[in-house]
Amino acid sequence: MHALSLIRRFRDRGDLVLPEAEAKEVLEAAGIPTTRCHIVESAAQACSTAEAIGFPVVLKISSPKLLHKTEAGGVVLNLRTPRELTAACERLTARGRELDHAFTLILQQMAPPGVELIAGATADPHFGTVLMLGTGGIYTELFRDAVFRLPPLETGVADEMIAALRSYPLLNGYRGAAKRDLAALRHLLLRLSALVSAGPEIRELEINPLVVYPRGLLALDARIILQ
Amino acid sequence: MLTGFDENSITAATAKLRNIFYPRSVALLGASDNPQRVGYNIFTSLSGSFQGSIYLVNPRLQAVQGYPVYSSLAAVPGPVDLAIIALNERATIAAIEECAACGVPGAVCVAGGFRETSEAGGGLEDELLAAAQRCAVPFVGPNTLGFINNAIGLNTTFYPMQLRRGNTSFISQSGGMGLSFICGAADAGLGLNKWVGAGNRTYFELADYLAFFGEDEGTEVIGLYLEGTEQAARLVRVAGSLKKPVVVYKAGRSGAADFATLTHTGSMAGAHAVYRDIFRQYGLYAVETMGELVAALKALSLAPLPRGRRIGLMTHTAGPSIVAADILLEWGCVLPPLAPQTMAKLQKLTGPNPPFALKNPLDVAGTGFMADVYGRYLELLADDPNVDMVITFFCHNSNPHWPFPSSEIVRVRQKSGKPLLACYISTAAHLPGERAILESGGVPLFATPEEAAQAALALVWQGGRNQAAIMGTTKRS
Repeated sequence: MHALSLIRRFRDRGDLVLPEAEAKEVLEAAGIPTTRCHIVESAAQACSTAEAIGFPVVLKISSPKLLHKTEAGGVVLNLRTPRELTAACERLTARGRELDHAFTLILQQMAPPGVELIAGATADPHFGTVLMLGTGGIYTELFRDAVFRLPPLETGVADEMIAALRSYPLLNGYRGAAKRDLAALRHLLLRLSALVSAGPEIRELEINPLVVYPRGLLALDARIILQ
Repeated sequence: MLTGFDENSITAATAKLRNIFYPRSVALLGASDNPQRVGYNIFTSLSGSFQGSIYLVNPRLQAVQGYPVYSSLAAVPGPVDLAIIALNERATIAAIEECAACGVPGAVCVAGGFRETSEAGGGLEDELLAAAQRCAVPFVGPNTLGFINNAIGLNTTFYPMQLRRGNTSFISQSGGMGLSFICGAADAGLGLNKWVGAGNRTYFELADYLAFFGEDEGTEVIGLYLEGTEQAARLVRVAGSLKKPVVVYKAGRSGAADFATLTHTGSMAGAHAVYRDIFRQYGLYAVETMGELVAALKALSLAPLPRGRRIGLMTHTAGPSIVAADILLEWGCVLPPLAPQTMAKLQKLTGPNPPFALKNPLDVAGTGFMADVYGRYLELLADDPNVDMVITFFCHNSNPHWPFPSSEIVRVRQKSGKPLLACYISTAAHLPGERAILESGGVPLFATPEEAAQAALALVWQGGRNQAAIMGTTKRS
C-alpha cells in the first residue's frame, strides 16, 4: 500500500509525529480526500498559490510541536483577498517564531461548511488499536459523542458505527437539511480500518474536522503519531 | 501467558481446563485441622459433595476429622488429577514441581503475594509460570478463590457452600465480586454450573475460561465480571464466536483513561466507553449493576428467546408497569397496541362496560386479585399476535383468598410458548415457594419491576443476536 510506504519513509526519517501536511499526504495515498497543503515561504508565494487554487483560503502554522493549532492562534480562516492573505502571513510568521523556529506556513483551500466529525484510531492499553468516530470540530471534547470499534471493520459494523453517533440525525437530514454522503463516510471508515490494520506503526491517527457533504467529504486537518 | 487469538492455543487451553475442572481425585496441599486456616475451609468445601477421592497432604498432621493426612504428594496412595495448593507463595512454586514429579496434571494456586503485591512478587509469579510451563502443570490463579464445578459437586474454594445446580457459569476477575454474584444468584434462585475466580490470570486468561465454558456441555449461559485485561481483543473475539449468551459486568466506569495520549481521539476514549462499544460490536450483553447481571442471567437461563422486541405488560396496579416501560422504551423495546381480536376477546370477558381500559399495559385493576381471572386476562395478552414477550406484575396481599397467581402464569407460559417474566411485589419471605412453582415452569421471577425489565432487555438482545445469526447463515448459503 502506497500510504504505508509513505509512513515508513517518514518513520525512517525519524519523524514520529506527522503534522498536517505529511498526515494528509498519507490520507490521500490511502484514498481519503483532504484539503491539500501547500507550503508557502513568502506572502507573494502565498498570493500566487491562492490565485491558483482559488480564494477563499486558510493559512496555518505547521510544526510537529503544535498539535492544537486553533488554541495556539495558529490558524486564520476564510481569507478572501490577496490583501487579507498578506496581512495573515505577517501575523502568523510572527506567531510562528514564538512557537517553534522550524515552523512552516501552509496554505489550503477554505472548505465549504458541512457536518463536522472527528475520525481516527487510538492505541488502547487493553484492546490495542481502536477506531473512533465522533462529533467533531472545536467542540469535540465538549460533546464527547464518540463511538469505538475494533478493526478490521466489516461494512455492517462501519454502518453501525455511524448510526450509533448521537449526532447521527445531523447526517441523516435533520429538520429538512440535506442528507450527508453516508456511503463516503462508510468508505472512509473502511479505508482507515485497512490502513491501521496493515500498518502497526500507526499509534494514533486523527482527522478533525472531517467535513461531510451531501456529496463526498473532506479531511480538513489531520495528524498521525507513529511508534 | 497464552497470547494472541490462536485457534490452537484456545483449543489446547480448553482441553487443559476440562481436565482441571473434571478431576476424579483431588489432593489438598496445606490441609489443616484449624478452622481459622484456609486449608481447613477448602477441606470442608471438598468434603461437602465431591464424589471423587480426596487426599489431604500436610507433613505435620496425621488426620483431619478422620481423614488420613499424607506427608507429601508422593506419599498419596492413588493417582491425583488435581492439586489444590493452599501454601504460601514460595512453597507454591515448589509444589508445582512436586506435581510434575508425581504425575499430577493440573493445579489451583490459592496463595496471594505475587504480581498484585510488589515487584518481588512479580518476579515470583514469573518463576511460578516458568515452573508450570517447564513441568507442564497448568494452573488456575494464583491469588484466587479457585473454582467450582457444580456439575460434579466440586468446590475448591475456601468458602464451603451448597449451591443450586443450573446451566449458568461465571468467570470473575475478583474473588469478592465473584462471591457477590454467587450470593445474588443464590437469593434469586439462579442455578450455577461452573464458577471460576481468574486470580492473576498467569497461566489462563479470561478468554481461555470463556472458550472453555463456550464448549462446556453443562453451560448454556455465561456471566463475566471484568475489571480490565490487556487481552481484551481476544476476549471479545472469543465471546463473539460463541452462540451462548455472554453477559458482562465491567467495573471501572469512573476510571479516566489510564494511558498518555496526544490526540483528542485518545483522550476521548476512556476505558469504559471503549469496552462498552466493543462489547456491542461482538455481541456481549453489558450490564451496569450486580442486580442487573443476576436478572439478565436468570432470564437467559430459564426463558425461551422472544421473536422480537414487542412487549406486553400486565398488572393490576399501574406503577410497576410504568417503571418497567421507562426502561424498556429507553432501550428500544416497543409496547404494541392490542390486536383487534384481543380487544374483542377482552370485551367478551369484561362485558360491555369494562372496569378498566383495554390497552397495553393491561391494568386489570381490582379484578386482578382473583387468580383465575388474572390468568384469563394474561392468556389473552400472551396470545396477542403483536406481543413477543410478556412481563406480568402482581402485588401480594396477605388475604388468603387473593393468592399469588403462580400456577395460572405457568399455564399461560406453557400454552403460549412465548417468554413470560413475572414480577411479584412482596416481602422476600413469600418468594421462594412461588419461585419454585414459576421457575420450574420456565417463568423467571423478579422482585422489582426494574430487574424484570432489565431481564427482558437481555432476552430481546439475545433473541436479536440469534436472528441475526440465522439471517447471516441464510444470506451466506
